[in-house]
Amino acid sequence: MSRLKVPHLIGVFPLAMMSFFFLAPLGYMVVVSFYERDPLGFYNVAFIWDNYAKFFSSFYYTISLRSVWSAGLGAALVVLLAFPAMYIIVDMSRRWQLFWVILLLSLMCLSEVILGFAWLILLSENSGIPKFLGWVGLWQDPRSLSPSFSAMMIGFVTLGFSLVALMFYPQMAQRDRSIEEAALTLGTPPGRVFSKVILPNFRTSIITSVVTMFVYFLGVFVMPTMLGRPKDWNMTVIITDKAVGDANMPLGAALSVIMLIFTLMIIGGLILAGRREQKA
Amino acid sequence: MSTILKRLFIWFIAAGLILPFVIVAGVSINAESNISFPPTEMSARWYTILLTERDWLIPIRNSLLIAFFAGLIAVSIALAANYVLWRLKSGFGRLVFALGVGPFMLPPIIIAMGASVFWAELGMYGRVEATVISHGVFFVTLPLVIISRGFAALSDDVIEASRTMGATALQTFTKIIFPLVLPYVITGYALVAIISVNEYLISYMVSGFAVETLPIRIFNNVRYGYTPVVASAAMGFALLTIGVLLVLSLFTDLLKLLGGARN
Repeated sequence: MSRLKVPHLIGVFPLAMMSFFFLAPLGYMVVVSFYERDPLGFYNVAFIWDNYAKFFSSFYYTISLRSVWSAGLGAALVVLLAFPAMYIIVDMSRRWQLFWVILLLSLMCLSEVILGFAWLILLSENSGIPKFLGWVGLWQDPRSLSPSFSAMMIGFVTLGFSLVALMFYPQMAQRDRSIEEAALTLGTPPGRVFSKVILPNFRTSIITSVVTMFVYFLGVFVMPTMLGRPKDWNMTVIITDKAVGDANMPLGAALSVIMLIFTLMIIGGLILAGRREQKA
Repeated sequence: MSTILKRLFIWFIAAGLILPFVIVAGVSINAESNISFPPTEMSARWYTILLTERDWLIPIRNSLLIAFFAGLIAVSIALAANYVLWRLKSGFGRLVFALGVGPFMLPPIIIAMGASVFWAELGMYGRVEATVISHGVFFVTLPLVIISRGFAALSDDVIEASRTMGATALQTFTKIIFPLVLPYVITGYALVAIISVNEYLISYMVSGFAVETLPIRIFNNVRYGYTPVVASAAMGFALLTIGVLLVLSLFTDLLKLLGGARN
């Protein structure tokens, strides 16, 4: 066997695994989205557009807008907090950096269910912030702060913070500091250095992380159901509800396909914009 | 002035990230059976229930089992893909690598929905193997990226030396490459296992009604009236996660691994 062939043979394994268990399910989901629902089982083979037609109604229109709004706001908030935090953390001593990295890695790995539950308790009337405010006398009649839109946003930020912070970490830690230092020595105030030197340098990675988080938040299920009210529920909750709750897999598949197309358009747009920037 | 502001900001962030767990820890050791904080009387009864009752032991066993095998699948895919990319440095290697990054780019619900219809069609809907394979394939991105750092750190002269001294490609791999990338492989495995133990949506949509994992158990419990056992389960989770990461930090340089070390 020639030397070139062996790596190709080894490559067949990851290629096959990813094609069969990642791409094929996505493709099959597109097929099922045209099937007909079978009230007694999963679905019947058919070719109908009904599942897609259902999407074009005021119900799904409202839910789509709501999902885009909550995911967009969550993405903006999380980057707004994580970027300056990371800017501060990379200048800490090695020991504190390790503390933060372990904290962030733990949070990144921890279940959405656990994070949601922890905030549920912290916002509840008999054990968390409301109880504390009532005890100090700042709040006469403490009530639970969840479920609410703000509670859901807190959940989103907790969920995404570690991921965004760790994405910024390498670039932030290894950035070329010569321009900042020059500006500082020349007497530029630190705030101005941050806005005029650091922010422009990180423009691309800030945009990338906002988009990544937006896409990620479109697909979260636990935070809206645990911390949000039914009127805050996003498309993901509705898809899960239709597919598992109502056992209507074709409709769930059709809604997922629409979300997939939307996501691919956003990612494609980001890549195109990146290429154009490189050329310019 | 600005240092004080910086410090305040970072303390605010740290509080927001840590405080929820302080409260959960308090609830989990409170003897009272309704959730409340601060604890009035200390007790380990919720932890005892968590570790002795079948209702909780079965989900714990399921979760650990899934994580163990999902980690193996993810790491073997990631290792093979990285080896191919390293050997070929060409289109084919890049294609394999790009496919592995794919799952990270898509919202989890799309992946979960796809897996759900796919396994239903194969007649494996509700089987634990389905969850294992789906987890293994979908969480491949992290070990893929981490192991690629290991391959990037390989110096060419060692490989060249082994080749000129007559080692076959297989010998070079087992005696030189594998030991050098092993720390990265272990880190990747540990992260996949932790993420798998914690994952909710995919497990729920692939086989949630038949194979109850710990996050599914907790979620159902929270939704339909909950006891402080949930708090003790959450604490168990958090401690396990932090413990694994601390052990990792002892024998790998986490800062360097995440690309933070300054050259």
